[in-house]
Formats: sequence, structure tokens, C-alpha cells
Amino acid sequence: MTLGRAASARYAAFLGTLAIGLATIPLWAPRFWIYIATQALIFAIFAMSLDLLLGYAGLPSLGHAAFFGVGAYACALLALRQVDGLFPLLLVGAVAAAIVAVPIGALSLRTTGIYFLMLTLAFGQMLWGLAVNWVSLTRGTDGLIGIPRPTLVGLDAFEISLYERGAFFILCLIVAIVTFALLQMLARSPFGKTLEGIRENERRMRALGFPTVRYRFAAFVTAAAVAGIAGALAAMSNGYATPDLLYWTVSGLALVAVVVGGARSLIGPVLGAFVVLFAQLGLSTYLERWELILGAIFIAFVLFVPGGLVGLVRRA
Amino acid sequence: MDLSAVGLTVRFGALAALNRVDLEVAAGERRAVIGPNGAGKTTLLNVIAGEHRPTEGSVRLGGRDATPLPPWRRARLGLGRTFQRSTLFSQLTVADNIALAVRARNRSGWRFWPGSEDGLNQEVSRRLEAGGIEHLARRPAGRLGHGERRILEVELALAASPSALLLDEPMAGLSGDERQKTLERLRSLPKEVTVVIVEHDIDAVFALAERITVLDHGVKIADGTPTEVRANARVQEVYLGGL
Repeated sequence: MTLGRAASARYAAFLGTLAIGLATIPLWAPRFWIYIATQALIFAIFAMSLDLLLGYAGLPSLGHAAFFGVGAYACALLALRQVDGLFPLLLVGAVAAAIVAVPIGALSLRTTGIYFLMLTLAFGQMLWGLAVNWVSLTRGTDGLIGIPRPTLVGLDAFEISLYERGAFFILCLIVAIVTFALLQMLARSPFGKTLEGIRENERRMRALGFPTVRYRFAAFVTAAAVAGIAGALAAMSNGYATPDLLYWTVSGLALVAVVVGGARSLIGPVLGAFVVLFAQLGLSTYLERWELILGAIFIAFVLFVPGGLVGLVRRA
Repeated sequence: MDLSAVGLTVRFGALAALNRVDLEVAAGERRAVIGPNGAGKTTLLNVIAGEHRPTEGSVRLGGRDATPLPPWRRARLGLGRTFQRSTLFSQLTVADNIALAVRARNRSGWRFWPGSEDGLNQEVSRRLEAGGIEHLARRPAGRLGHGERRILEVELALAASPSALLLDEPMAGLSGDERQKTLERLRSLPKEVTVVIVEHDIDAVFALAERITVLDHGVKIADGTPTEVRANARVQEVYLGGL
């Protein structure tokens, strides 16, 4: 998508305002809301990684939570073995998810569309089953508990600790902004344009000489790595990792966030992630079956607001 | 690049879309493949391009056995093609369509950061101008008229600078004026580019082709210079009918 100069200036102003607005949250929000906003940011990183797949590569995955979960477990296992350090823990989440994505991508990417959706769903549920049943590694349904958060080298001298909600929130915000910037760069790069061509017309791209499956594979593994980083943050945030993180409904919620926010925009899924989390929180207080309402919102967006929240803003 | 097919047979169930077809096209040759509907012309192009695996037989591109190669590998050997039904990037602008074809040839798709692409943009402008479609540059391909789409279909293949080009009915549905322009465009291709054209516009075929291959029901029934083919009684009977 190419924007005019005025439009891109407005967009940059919007992003800046959003980032600054979010950064002030620890200053004024009650503790509970800082926690919720942290969860939303982690979910936003996860949803952005899914947007790379769905929006840019045109690959609708229902198994993306598997990589979120693998990232969380990898981070948890390392942290519980006394590995301290933010970067190693985030990196292990990304690398573990990417490694798991290699065979899953190699098999799933033989298909597209609904078949890809079903295969990713099946692989995702297999990994969920593994998390439940490989008790010696994962402790089954109890999950891994008591995951410590890393200390920040240098910053601990100022008594800044990731155990403080505000500091941890800011960490998640920084990771979200860096993720956004990197994915945006990727989307606008020749690689991103090639993915766009493959989404639009794979047959023609092959006839032009692009090894299309390799490109989609690269996008798949990259998206998995980013989901793994989100998973590692989730493990640190919660202090535990359970099989629930890998369950297909988590993938489903992320798909809802991408579609409601607006696919192929990266910022849309961020907004969508906040909508989904707040809807979950607000509605689940009053309704046991809050998913019904969220489902209705999802259907309404698919039918009436195809560009998502971002599309609404663009048209306004 | 020369291309050849030996003993190509393609069976869909009981139907033989192609039956032991041989085709030998020299480098730089202009070859037309004609025949009635259902003769197997498009199937032949699809097998040469790698979209269909032949049931039997082999395909050689530039002296190399291409039979096991996927379409993108054949494209990298220098094979380009157009499709019978326009196969464009409909949400992208005409300029971005052409840019993808140029990128294919530059193999510049594996760069993961944006940045200046002056060389690419200049080449895209040059290509748009050469194809006479610079006035459409910013229009999404999906909003082009039928004739404009057919022209972009050909320009997209040309923008990848192929050394052999397969054209599947490039003139279909074009107005007289557009036909003339497309014909001139094809005649002005560099001499070394091999062209295999499937086309029902017989005037265009005779204006362009140095040799003509005639298919009927998946079987090659004639192969020769335009004069020879025109004089062939069998061809007159099944296709040309009194031309």
C-alpha cells in the first residue's frame, strides 16, 4: 500500500501518539489495568506475527498459538535452569519456535487456503497434546510454574526491576514497537513485495521465476519466531507456562484480532488485540459465554467492515 | 534459447490431450501453433512451461533436459509465458505488476529491508513506455479494460526479459487497433528471442510465424513454413477451411 505524503505524515503522528499514550499507562493506571495492558501488548506482538502470515503472505493459520506456546515453554525451561538475561530468554523463545516451524511449514505449505488452515490446526493441536503428555519435560496440565523474570544488567543499579509492573509493561511496549518497526520494514522490502505478489497470483509468480514455496516458508518461519518472542514474554509475565497457551482457541483469538483490527496493516492487529482482550475481560465478568459476543463482533467485521478498524479510520 | 519436446503425451483419464507430439523450435525462431479448439495447444504450452507433467515424453530448454523442473526453474532458464486468461496481480498497480516481473529477473526478492530502488524504478518506467502503457502506470490491474489487461499480460512476460516466450492467444478479444499494436510489439522483439505463439487470429499468425505447427485432437498433423501449411490438404480440411 502506498500512502500520499499527507496521509503518511498523519499515520506517523497517529503511531507516535499511540506509543506515547501507551507509555504513560504505568504513570496513571491502576495496577490491575497495567497488568491487563501488558497482556494486551504481548497478545498484540503475537497478532502482528500472524498478520505477516495472513495479511501479507495470505496464509490463514489456525495453529499459530503452537509457536506462542513453544516460545513460552522454551523461555520457561531456560529460566527455571537459572539462565538469567533478557536477550537469551527472548532469543530462545524465537529460535525454538522457528525450529518447530521448519517441519510444520515444510508440510503445511504444500497446501494453501482452507487446507493450510486445517493442517496448521492439526499440527497445533498435536503440539498441544505433546505439552499435555510429555510430563517429564512440561509437567503436563500443571504446567511449569515459578518462572523467574530476568534481571536487567545495569538497570538494577537504579532499582529498576522487571518484577515491577510498570517496568515490565515498558519492556513489552519496547518489544512491541521494535517488532512493529521490523515487520513494517519487512513488509515494505523487496521480500514483502514478493510475498504480496505471491498472495495475489501465485501461478504468475511461478511463471515469472519465483520459487514461491520458499518465500512462503521464509514468511512462515519468521512469523513463528516473532510468535515465540511473544510467548517468551507471556511466560515471564505470567510466571507460568501451561498447555492452554498452545490451544487452538488462542490462534482463533489472534485471527479475530487481526481481522477486527484490519489485516495487512500491522497496527490493525495491535488495536484488535486490545479490543479482544478488553472484550474478554469486560464481557466475561457478566457472561459465561462471552465468546458468543466476540464471535458476533467478528462476524460483523467480516461482513460489514472488511478493512477492520484501520480501514474505518482510513476511510474517515 | 532453443526448445524442444519429444514424444509428449498427456492423458487426462481416457482422453489424450496430447498424443506423441514432437516440437523442435530453433533459437530465435518465430513459431505458431494452430488448430481447432480442444486440439491441445494450451496443454502443449503448459507442459513446456512446467505446469503439467507429461504422461510420457520430455522437454528440453536450451539443450538441457527440463522435464523434471518446476515452472520457476524453467523461468530462470529464460522461459517466459503469457496465459490464455489474463493472470495479473489485480490489486497492484500496472507499474507494480511490471516491477514484480523485473524483480523476478534481477532475483532481488530476497532483500529484507526497503531502500532506494532507482534502478528498478527506471527500468519499470522504460518498460511501461516501450509497451505504450505508461498512462496506465498507477491504475490497479483489476480496473483495466479487457484489451488493456491482454496487453499487460504480454508486457508482464516481456518485462522479465525471456529468451524464449510462450504466448497463449495474446490477441483474443482485442480490437483491430490493439491487434495491430500487439503484432508490431511482437515483431519488434529482439531477433534472438524464441517465440511460440498459440493464436486463432490467422492473419497475425501468418504475419508473425516463420514456421507453423498444426494440432488436431492432440496429434500433430502438419509442421512447416506458412506456405507449406497453407497448401496442406489435411490442414485445410480440419482448420483453415478455404483460407
